[in-house]
Amino acid sequence: MRRVPLLVTFLSGAAIASLFFIPHHKAQAVNSKLLEWTLVVYAFALILGSLSLWMSHAKKVKKRAEGWPYSMVTLVALLAIPGLGIWKGVGAGSPVGMIYDTVNAPLASSMFALLAFVIASAAFRAFRARSAEATLLLLTAIIMMIGRVSIGELISANLPGITEWLLDVPNLAAKRAIAIGVGLGAVSTALKIILGIERSYLGRS
Amino acid sequence: MLRSAPVDQALETRWFDPARLNVLIGILLFTAFLVVNILRAKANGALYVRPIAGLKALDEAIGRATEMGRPVLYVPGLSDMSEVGTFAAITILYRLAQRVAEMGCEIEVPCYDPVVATVIDGAARDAYSKAGRPDAFRPGCVHYVSAQQFAYVAAVNGFMLRERPAANVYMGSFYAESLLLAETGNTTGAIQIAGTDKVTQLPFFVCACDYTLLGEELFAASAYLGKEPVQLATIIAQDWAKALAAAAIVAALLLGALGHPQLAAWLRIA
Amino acid sequence: MGWVEKLLSIDRRIIFLLVGAGVIVPLLLPVNLPVTVTPRVQAAYDAIDALPPGSRVLISMDYEPEIMAELMPMSIAVLRHCFRKHIQVVAMTLYPAGTGLGEHALDVASRAEGAVRNRDFVWLGYKSGFQVVMIGIGENLRGMYPVDFYGTPLDSIPMMRGVNTYAQLSMMINLSGSSAADYWIQFAQGRYHAPIVLGCTAVMATDYYPYLSSRQVLGLIGGMKGAAEYERLIDVFGDGRRGMDAQSLVHLIVVLLVVVGNAALFATRGGPGAPAARPGEAPPR
Repeated sequence: MRRVPLLVTFLSGAAIASLFFIPHHKAQAVNSKLLEWTLVVYAFALILGSLSLWMSHAKKVKKRAEGWPYSMVTLVALLAIPGLGIWKGVGAGSPVGMIYDTVNAPLASSMFALLAFVIASAAFRAFRARSAEATLLLLTAIIMMIGRVSIGELISANLPGITEWLLDVPNLAAKRAIAIGVGLGAVSTALKIILGIERSYLGRS
Repeated sequence: MLRSAPVDQALETRWFDPARLNVLIGILLFTAFLVVNILRAKANGALYVRPIAGLKALDEAIGRATEMGRPVLYVPGLSDMSEVGTFAAITILYRLAQRVAEMGCEIEVPCYDPVVATVIDGAARDAYSKAGRPDAFRPGCVHYVSAQQFAYVAAVNGFMLRERPAANVYMGSFYAESLLLAETGNTTGAIQIAGTDKVTQLPFFVCACDYTLLGEELFAASAYLGKEPVQLATIIAQDWAKALAAAAIVAALLLGALGHPQLAAWLRIA
Repeated sequence: MGWVEKLLSIDRRIIFLLVGAGVIVPLLLPVNLPVTVTPRVQAAYDAIDALPPGSRVLISMDYEPEIMAELMPMSIAVLRHCFRKHIQVVAMTLYPAGTGLGEHALDVASRAEGAVRNRDFVWLGYKSGFQVVMIGIGENLRGMYPVDFYGTPLDSIPMMRGVNTYAQLSMMINLSGSSAADYWIQFAQGRYHAPIVLGCTAVMATDYYPYLSSRQVLGLIGGMKGAAEYERLIDVFGDGRRGMDAQSLVHLIVVLLVVVGNAALFATRGGPGAPAARPGEAPPR
């Protein structure tokens, strides 16, 4: 029985890899169908996720663990929001739409906005001239930060050009080198999985 | 005027796209390198792979967590099972969970994707069994949190600030949340080890973490930690492929400079 | 603890306050700093500008509220440019929460340029599944979207007559804050050879430079700076240009903090001769 998942992985991996080389309309129709199946499988996965979330928080509430009222809020939301969605729909102006617009969207935007603050504190701590390489990094960072915004042009008309060169030449060269390594690593991992060399994701026992 | 090529899928009757012959040859060569190195590993046993500082530090991190009686937090990235980075994160977790089980400390794995959570749960249970400590596995230590990027970040950051894990390990595919997670971890004083295949996020991890696995090191990590000859052989095959890619780039450049751009054109992926 | 040590271990909340002030003050008291146009944004503008009136483009606005500050200004600017050039727009989103945002961008741009729904643009709304939708459009747009967002059958919309695959669209414009951009390049460009112009967040932008040099992407608008450049090219003063003052000041504050931090470091360690970190050595926590 343990060979069945390996066989499924091998066959589906080999089939999808082959479809990349076959432009025939029938093969591409199969490709589209496989992609649709992925969507269906993921829809079921959401049920799994919801169950996992429910069990994790229900346990906290049952044990009255620290912070259990927050778990209670999660459980109520987990039931109420899908319920409201089924009852009143999810379009603009519906209760779910309003919850999304007035609670979810502002909270998510605020979290993203925090990035500006943590980037500043991380830069303050990380950009220290401790070695020759670190000094080079520091100087490049300063040129980039100044040269990429309007104030850079006021300081020196050459700064935007220097930043463009930094982005186009050293940055792109390093990125491409890392990207080639990542690409080969990804191919290697994919082959290991398709050929059954790497099986830890199956939970081997 | 710019215009789409008149491609009509319904009329396509070819069973092979010759423009993709280069990719096919590349994959066949890579597979050949893999087979040759696996045979070499089986014949010779040990293969040398250069040490990776971030992976050596994993043991230190688990030891620290055990001494302090605090958990290890493992964040397996924010992608689904269609990303190879997620597979790398799962295979690394498998090795890490074995060490955690052996050392007798706690691990916490909050997941962004429900399928990933299920797969990791199975892998972690198996890792504990393999370490001879199936009873030590705490059900619920691998759990789904939210498939919304910043809701997930809020939950993980909250865990860091409340539970103060001794070690935070970030492995897999990360996006805009990378610095938010790593900076919060930094404020708690945890030892932090990160690895991602997302090149854009690497500078953020380098700034905020103690050790960072750069790109391909993420994919090599599982083989490195497992030390199994067949796994190590895949890293060497990867290096051979990289050498071939570098040689092809240099050759294409030289030939192009000499007025023969055919190789450069052939290497282009259609 | 001396002042230098205090400076080195400054409470991060002070840094947060400085950054907060750096954002708020220029928004309240704008100075309208000049904006230089970079070649990548110029290329995006030129590619769209070269389309003749009556051309049809597909615009996918694939982002959610958290990154709207970066992507909404460029969406409005690109849409305004299209409407001004009488280019018909087929607009859509691959994110459920992008529906309201896309609709808002179309509303603002169409009001500003006098464009009319179903004559100058169509709003298809949200459809789930990146690859499925992209391949679906390549094969049969009506199979994916039999009706528009408001329930009007596509066959009864005049500007959609004869449009059913990428082949009938002059260009695909993706304004994205996620891996959706990779998929558009892979499918719309790679498989169906649709010319692509890309807009993305500033952090993502450098990921797509290789596609520019290989001409798989014709132009790239990166972040709020890119939006500000595009606004300058179409001669409007929108949120992109308004945000440039704040972005400039915050960058300046970060640079000053870094300079001060390093000055303090030299003061404690006695200058550049101070012992350097060994390669692989972990930075202090």
